[in-house]
Amino acid sequence: MAYLHLFWPEGGALPRMQALDIFHMDTGGCTGCGLELRAVSRALDAGNAAIRFVSTPRQAGLLLLTGSLSVEMAPVVELAWQAMPGSRLLAVVGDCAVDGGVFTPSYAVLGGVGGRAQASLSLPGCPPAPAMILEALIRWRTGQDKQPPAA
Amino acid sequence: MTLRGLVGAGRPAACAGRFELGADGWRMMVEALPRSTARLCGLWSDGMQVHALFHDGPGPFMASVAVPEGRYLALSPARPGAEAHERMLHDLWGIEAMGAVGTAPWLDQGQWGVTWPLRERAPPAPPPPEGVEFIDGAAMERAGGTMLGHGPAEGGFHAPLHLRLGLPGEGITQVRPRMGYAHRGLCARMRGNTLAGGARLAARIDAGATVAHQLAFARAVTAASGVDTSCPLAIFPAELERVATHLDSVAQMAELQADGRLANLAATLLEHVRQLGHAVYGHRLLFDVVPRRDAAAPAPEMMAALHEGCATLRRLFWRPRGLATQLLGRGVLSAGAARQWGIGGCVGRASGIEADLRAQDPAYAPGWLTPPPRSEGDMTARLSTRLHELGESVRILGNAGVMPEPPVPAQCVDGEGLGMAEGPAGPVWHWLRVEDGRIAAWWCGDPSLAQIQALPAILHGAVYEDVEPILTSLGLSAAGADL
Repeated sequence: MAYLHLFWPEGGALPRMQALDIFHMDTGGCTGCGLELRAVSRALDAGNAAIRFVSTPRQAGLLLLTGSLSVEMAPVVELAWQAMPGSRLLAVVGDCAVDGGVFTPSYAVLGGVGGRAQASLSLPGCPPAPAMILEALIRWRTGQDKQPPAA
Repeated sequence: MTLRGLVGAGRPAACAGRFELGADGWRMMVEALPRSTARLCGLWSDGMQVHALFHDGPGPFMASVAVPEGRYLALSPARPGAEAHERMLHDLWGIEAMGAVGTAPWLDQGQWGVTWPLRERAPPAPPPPEGVEFIDGAAMERAGGTMLGHGPAEGGFHAPLHLRLGLPGEGITQVRPRMGYAHRGLCARMRGNTLAGGARLAARIDAGATVAHQLAFARAVTAASGVDTSCPLAIFPAELERVATHLDSVAQMAELQADGRLANLAATLLEHVRQLGHAVYGHRLLFDVVPRRDAAAPAPEMMAALHEGCATLRRLFWRPRGLATQLLGRGVLSAGAARQWGIGGCVGRASGIEADLRAQDPAYAPGWLTPPPRSEGDMTARLSTRLHELGESVRILGNAGVMPEPPVPAQCVDGEGLGMAEGPAGPVWHWLRVEDGRIAAWWCGDPSLAQIQALPAILHGAVYEDVEPILTSLGLSAAGADL
């Protein structure tokens, strides 16, 4: 698909990645991050990438949360986390999920998962562009985010 | 006497078009409701009064009644669409509707930690509700059918809501929505906020209709300060948003029905539109674009490509054995049901309801808006209406290419105002009261709430596999409905 380039900015092909199944949950936000994640999902599908979005937490290795964690979604997030098998990872995308964003403080919002749990991948932005999400995901998945950037 | 006449007999209030009625006046208005054709667009409170917003041919008008005892006469026996509003009023304020059709909590599932959160000084309150108790009907129990849940976590990218679906046989006969998962307490956040902070928050109510919410909020602010409410600049971002949201719906629908070519093209065009939004306004999803002074004009070849792409989309949609044929007669929303629940917007137009706030906007030239090709109310009609409006909006974008300077924002004066805008899914309303330069009371009406209430009528008889496509074709957003 032509609309999102699955190439590094330097022009080379994407590095080979381990397979990763992602379960996405909107925990009470404006769904803007969801719209951008849908674009990412379409690009990954079109590129036959090993990373994909799945429709049940029982199949997922990574729980990706967006939104400011409304009080009523908190038990649902807990259930989804408990339903994930084996070693599981947590990612938070967007300002709301990182620290609550514009919706805190409020009686109905707990203020993002990023401040309450250790996330493997944390990406701020309102919302981050799909290219940024994809790049963060790939850098993290290939372990490049741990190395200092080449001069 | 017409409903407008009955309401107009009340005492004119600070807001243009709002009239304060006594208890008797309110009762007469409720009694006149069954004979009236005016659409109920909202029901809300500021703690002292309960306000009802109606819309008919000449425009919107509001009726208010004081609620010193915390009670008012319910509208839901005459207007079923008022039920969710009444239940939300009780959840947030503890104000009761006398004679209401439903009294169960709508938003409050007993998790908030406060009861009636919007009250200034809560009286000794009963303990929070235990959450919704689902009671299956006798027909359902006799049949011994299956209960299936849908949501709130489906792995999709939409806002969370839960539907409890009862299937005695193949078709769905019972639908119970459970809302509140996406409730962020926006009304409490708005209260006491500055106008700039309020505008920032309004842009983040629902990303699919962010420009409509921003516009309606800005118009409410200008109406509150008592100056001219026309905003000609706003045509361009509003139509750009409509194009993006309709393209997204078409792409999702094509993905669900495994129509690869249509999905591919719609997703590619959508990405182009998002990039256009970034180039013109500096934000892909058009957050915080109203009011804005530095907007670059779009490239003409971009508009030509969009125009051509929309024509190809329509051709692919209507091709033999294409999406149009597959979706024919599924997920029908009849004109009667749409009228009963007060559904407007593009979903209402697909059912043959004439409701478009843009028709009264002087910024839209006559002849720009044309009736949709189908009015059967099924998924084909809804999708073809979206494709039709897509072409229309792209044409309008071409015509409205020259962007005039935005009007200078008025000095903030205390007052009260109502603002409206036609979003991609339907009419968006904002009402606010400004005191000392800050928002003292605020309400927002989103088209999704009426659609969620109409879901039992739309999903009745559908198979379980059709639930996701029907929700997609409606384009409803729980984020807008829950606030």
